[in-house]
Amino acid sequence: MDNAFQKDCLEILASKVENGEISRRRFTQMAAMLLAGAPALLRSTGSYAQAKELVLVNWGGDAMTAYDKAYGQPFTKETGVTVKMDGSGPTEGAITAQFKSGKPSWDLLDIDPFSGISLGKQGMLEEIDYKVVDKNKMRPGFGWDHAASTYFFSYIIAYDSSKFGDQAPTGMADFFDVKKFPGKRSLYKWGSAMWEAALLADGVAPEKLYPLDLKRAHDKIAAFKENVVAYWGGGAESQSVLMDGEASMAIIWSTRAQLLEQDSGGNIKFIWDQGLISPGALGVMKGNPGGKENAMKFIASAQTPERQLEMFNLLGQGPANPATDALIPADRKRVNCVDPANMTKQIPLNMEWYAENYGKAFDEYTKVISA
Amino acid sequence: MIGKSATSRKILLLAPLLLFLGLAYVVPFLGVVRWSFTLPEPGVGQYRSLFTDPLVQSVFIRTLRICLVVTAASLVMAYAIAYVWVRGSSVQRMLAEFCILVPFWISVLTRAFGWLAMLSNRGLINTWLQSAGIIGEPLALARNELGVIIGMTHFLIPFAVFPIASAMRSIDERVLLAARGMGASRTRIFWTVFVPLTYGGLIGAALIVFVFALGFFVTPAILGGGRSVMVAELVYLRIFQSPDWGLGAAISVVLVLFIGILLALMRRFIKPAHLVG
Repeated sequence: MDNAFQKDCLEILASKVENGEISRRRFTQMAAMLLAGAPALLRSTGSYAQAKELVLVNWGGDAMTAYDKAYGQPFTKETGVTVKMDGSGPTEGAITAQFKSGKPSWDLLDIDPFSGISLGKQGMLEEIDYKVVDKNKMRPGFGWDHAASTYFFSYIIAYDSSKFGDQAPTGMADFFDVKKFPGKRSLYKWGSAMWEAALLADGVAPEKLYPLDLKRAHDKIAAFKENVVAYWGGGAESQSVLMDGEASMAIIWSTRAQLLEQDSGGNIKFIWDQGLISPGALGVMKGNPGGKENAMKFIASAQTPERQLEMFNLLGQGPANPATDALIPADRKRVNCVDPANMTKQIPLNMEWYAENYGKAFDEYTKVISA
Repeated sequence: MIGKSATSRKILLLAPLLLFLGLAYVVPFLGVVRWSFTLPEPGVGQYRSLFTDPLVQSVFIRTLRICLVVTAASLVMAYAIAYVWVRGSSVQRMLAEFCILVPFWISVLTRAFGWLAMLSNRGLINTWLQSAGIIGEPLALARNELGVIIGMTHFLIPFAVFPIASAMRSIDERVLLAARGMGASRTRIFWTVFVPLTYGGLIGAALIVFVFALGFFVTPAILGGGRSVMVAELVYLRIFQSPDWGLGAAISVVLVLFIGILLALMRRFIKPAHLVG
């Protein structure tokens, strides 16, 4: 155990050397002391190290490097606080386990705002300090008590244009219309945004969506089942059903739709019309080891437009700070899901509704699609 | 060790393993049992919902259905492979061994994706059949229950081969010769003498495959097209996606009990030593 801790201290020191915060000579001295196991120093460095480190938990993959490059490294340069990336996925179950253990090792959590709302209600997350985090650097309506807006993505229609001649779908009604647009479809396995899509297709006006009429949505989805080739569970799967020609149309994440367009040489196109905007957020673990103050500072630093632009370039997510939109070059504005021109065509998912109802709705959805 | 009886010596040799299993499995599992009775509130409410919750019901039924079909399919194919392995010529034996062992060395994930490449709409099988003019529209072989069954059967055949082959090896050749001498045809010998003598191995194989199949997670997730949720994935969803630990724990406890009963049955039919050939 101690050994691991020492290594950890060394890692922190090493990264400080890299960032030019301490000299190599000082590093060698401290490392020697650490390895000699000077207990008093170890203890003091230990608490010091803890106060100087944040662990950000996201969903792994490309996000690990992107978060580090766009937010972690600049923050460390500014404050000397190391930001470690952990890609193990902050599911509600995992956060609950951390919290119940009484000794959480996580600080910042990349979560759905609706998880933030419900976990916050249960006292597992710190309140966002809006004196440090700036609400003016968020889009109106996207700052929650226990979750701060960090990025956006959308659930949008992507389609194989080679299958429809010069016809293009214009919204969810077309998605559910296999006469006009023949071929199989693919929907999202985890339910989010699929109820809204079904209701929009069924003629519900966007402003009348919430509270969702789940029965009506599930009836529509159940009646459509034979046209669905697969319910994709992850981004890669959603890409492959379209690339392999298994589906002629799918509702997928906007980040993946951009990649598909490139990979298929423009054959697979996407539309923003009736897309469903889903916000991503950062929450802070209650009693987090790195301290609430530093965690809030980090969130505030991630509001910088230039850093959000970096994130947009790396992962294709829409920026949380509207000031970032203007920095995006004209030819890339088209793929920003929250660009004013695209945002007006879409409907944001209602996070308060999700916080209240998602669990039950998802169970019902699973039952409907697997019946 | 002098003066110790053989039994106590065996226990001593087993002690590290028992200790490890106790610490690594039994103790944590008792924690899971506790959850199932205490979350979200104390009582047997979670066990009651196992019998009332339609989602749990439908997942249980699908799991049982898939596992039964997979078990039946695995047994038939494993019987054929085991027969060749035990009674074939030396070349046939080599081939059978190859068919049994090679899948063992390939990860379950790779095999599931391999099947996806074979079975999907533009996969090998559909492309062949279409170019041969046998079918017009591609067959739905993957991203559904059929795909799950194919992928799981492929994975589990070797596990059925060992106990069946072991039962075949223990058949006394003279019994078959006697039947021949009494004038029975080859087919008749096979069905009335040979097969009945391997029932023990068949039952052992069926139980092993069935118990194994109950816990499958990756294969249904990849080949099931998102609509073939099985029990293992349901437990995962309860524990990780929704903090509904009580129900997830209750499902686990029921599953462990069920498997425990099956294993107890298995011990009556087959010696564990025979399960590995």
